[in-house]
Amino acid sequence: MSADGVKARPGSVRAYRLAVTARVLLAGVGGYLIAALASALLALMLPGGRAEAVSAALIASFAIMAAAVIWVFAAGTVGRAALGLGLAAALLIAALWLVGAFQAGGVA
Amino acid sequence: MSRPKSVRQSMAWLHTWSGLVVGWLLFAIFVTGTASYYRTAISHWMRPELSDTVSDPVAAASRAGTFLQKTMPAAAGWSIRLPTAENPTVEVYWWPNFGGPFHHALLDPATGERSTVRDTRGGDFLYRFHFELNMPPIWGRWIVSACAMVLLIALLSGIVIHRRIFADFFTFRRDRSAQRGWLDAHNVMGVLALPFHLMIVYTGLVTLSSMLMPWAVKTGYRGDIQRYYAEAGLMIAGRPVAGRPGTGLPLGEIVSRAIATTGEMPELVTVANPADAAATVTAYFEEPPGLAHLHPQIAYDAATGAELGRVGEAGAATRTGAVMVGLHEAHFAAAPLRFLFFLCGLMGAATVATGLVLWTVARAPKNVAPEGFGLRLVRILNLGTIAGLPAGLAAYFLANRLLPVALDVRAEWEVGAFFAVWVLAALASALYPRTRAWSFALAVPASAFLAIPVIDAITIGESRFIGFDVAMALLGLLLLLAARLASRRAWARRPIQEHLHMTAEA
Amino acid sequence: MILSLLLAFAGFSAFALSQDRHHRAVVRIPVSRSRIRGLRNAGWAGLGLSFLAAMASAGCSFGPVQWVGSLTGAALAVVGVIAFRPTSLRIIALAALPLAALIAPLALAS
Repeated sequence: MSADGVKARPGSVRAYRLAVTARVLLAGVGGYLIAALASALLALMLPGGRAEAVSAALIASFAIMAAAVIWVFAAGTVGRAALGLGLAAALLIAALWLVGAFQAGGVA
Repeated sequence: MSRPKSVRQSMAWLHTWSGLVVGWLLFAIFVTGTASYYRTAISHWMRPELSDTVSDPVAAASRAGTFLQKTMPAAAGWSIRLPTAENPTVEVYWWPNFGGPFHHALLDPATGERSTVRDTRGGDFLYRFHFELNMPPIWGRWIVSACAMVLLIALLSGIVIHRRIFADFFTFRRDRSAQRGWLDAHNVMGVLALPFHLMIVYTGLVTLSSMLMPWAVKTGYRGDIQRYYAEAGLMIAGRPVAGRPGTGLPLGEIVSRAIATTGEMPELVTVANPADAAATVTAYFEEPPGLAHLHPQIAYDAATGAELGRVGEAGAATRTGAVMVGLHEAHFAAAPLRFLFFLCGLMGAATVATGLVLWTVARAPKNVAPEGFGLRLVRILNLGTIAGLPAGLAAYFLANRLLPVALDVRAEWEVGAFFAVWVLAALASALYPRTRAWSFALAVPASAFLAIPVIDAITIGESRFIGFDVAMALLGLLLLLAARLASRRAWARRPIQEHLHMTAEA
Repeated sequence: MILSLLLAFAGFSAFALSQDRHHRAVVRIPVSRSRIRGLRNAGWAGLGLSFLAAMASAGCSFGPVQWVGSLTGAALAVVGVIAFRPTSLRIIALAALPLAALIAPLALAS
């Protein structure tokens, strides 16, 4: 991950910076999005009553976000990182839709 | 970054850069948070006029009610913290609506008027700075939370890249190169207090979770957070306003009822919609012994004094969350355990500080070559934060003793001294020559902390503050030791540099 | 809590001595294989006893918190001794044990 190999060619310094910016944005925005969707879903799906489910979802959400961010930076390329997050987000949205979070007034 | 070689390398990159961008703020958050373990002790010291006389909480509650009735009868809420031996004043808040502004006053329990002790924010300033950074609360909390998230990532990536956690568990090589020494110090501080670091960052996020992650409440409760709190056993459900005016009983009457039914004195009493016929008084009691941050509560009708309800039993998940909040705040901790938490907090600050210094040491030019702009900026910010913040802290305490007691907006001046000295110390050390900057920068807060007991002895000189003064002197000595180490290192490096020169020439 | 700290200190000292680098620094000779095993067992025993001491004196909810805190404090002390006074680690660790035995009745009674 050092820029040493890249620094030799000035053209790829820009590519490097762009990739870093993309990952940081993806980690921040994408990671939060995944955590938000997951906690919204867990609040509806976890057993033990509504209040307990919400409490557990709140506690778990930060671990989920941390895992998503680590994934973004560990993935081989920015594209793969984005694909992974996109897939997870799509699955979560589908599950939220299935459990009826978007009906009767919507999530918000 | 574009073509990473392995997961470990990408994690090393992540650890280095995520740690750097939030490092300075994290250092300030760690230091003020660690100081907050002794928030009441600090507040005590900063209000030397208060004695430990215990006053009658029932009468004090009634007087506070009269004061609030005079000040803002049509408030959305009042809150009254009753006097105890530790906190002999009555602290009241009142707010026109739930969005604030939240007004605040300290009352003399004997008169029910504003207390005449010196105006100061005491330990509360450091406590609030820890999670609001003296900014508008919402902004500060989001920024601190973002830093906490980045810290969590930095901790996790740090564990991945630290190849030899157990082999190097006890290793601190101070006889090797500067970089080796800083890396060992960073690893030792980080690894030995790792349970604390992980706990404190995660529980910190959980403490603010309902603001940071409102989505679970959005789907589970359609966004009705009061309902969630009530069902989870965290609060008592509020009553809708009646819309007609009403008069409440004297608050002392309700406090004595609360004492009669539970046998315990409430810590805090809140009044919702005090001018309404459906005004509700809620008494909050001290947490029962245990880790969880769950206050028993009873709600009373303000007009009749009839009991309206009690807080429900919290389930396992809610209790887990409450234990996390409890661990973060460590209200439960008796003196020895509190000291260990304090020590771990210092180790957290030291982990951040050594990490920041390591960044510059690892990139320092090998001989007398001038440092680049980025390196210079990081070095100056390191100096300004790691040495400047303690200087500001000491100035905050010194200002408390040195400013005239009757000064207008005195509390603001104290906070002003904190920031002004922080900035001045940072600027001064930035202008100092590179080799001697650290020893100078650390000597400033060291002498300021050492001055605190002296100034306190001259201005107040009471034996009950000896503990605080000794602690300040110890902090001063610690900083002095650090300053000496820094100056010795600067001297020790000179022959090596000359040696490098000679080999380069040869 | 002091009991738990002392036992953790003794335990961590044994662990540190079971590593060749620290063993050389403390007693100036490389550590033998049989000693490694003995020291590791002593280390686990120290940490285990420290846990029991914390549980006994602080109860089931505070005990683990206190134990983890003691581990951090004791490990930091061991690192400090190895870095600044390596040769006295053995004496301090061995002195910690009778001291622990001495205060054990006091700590457990309260």
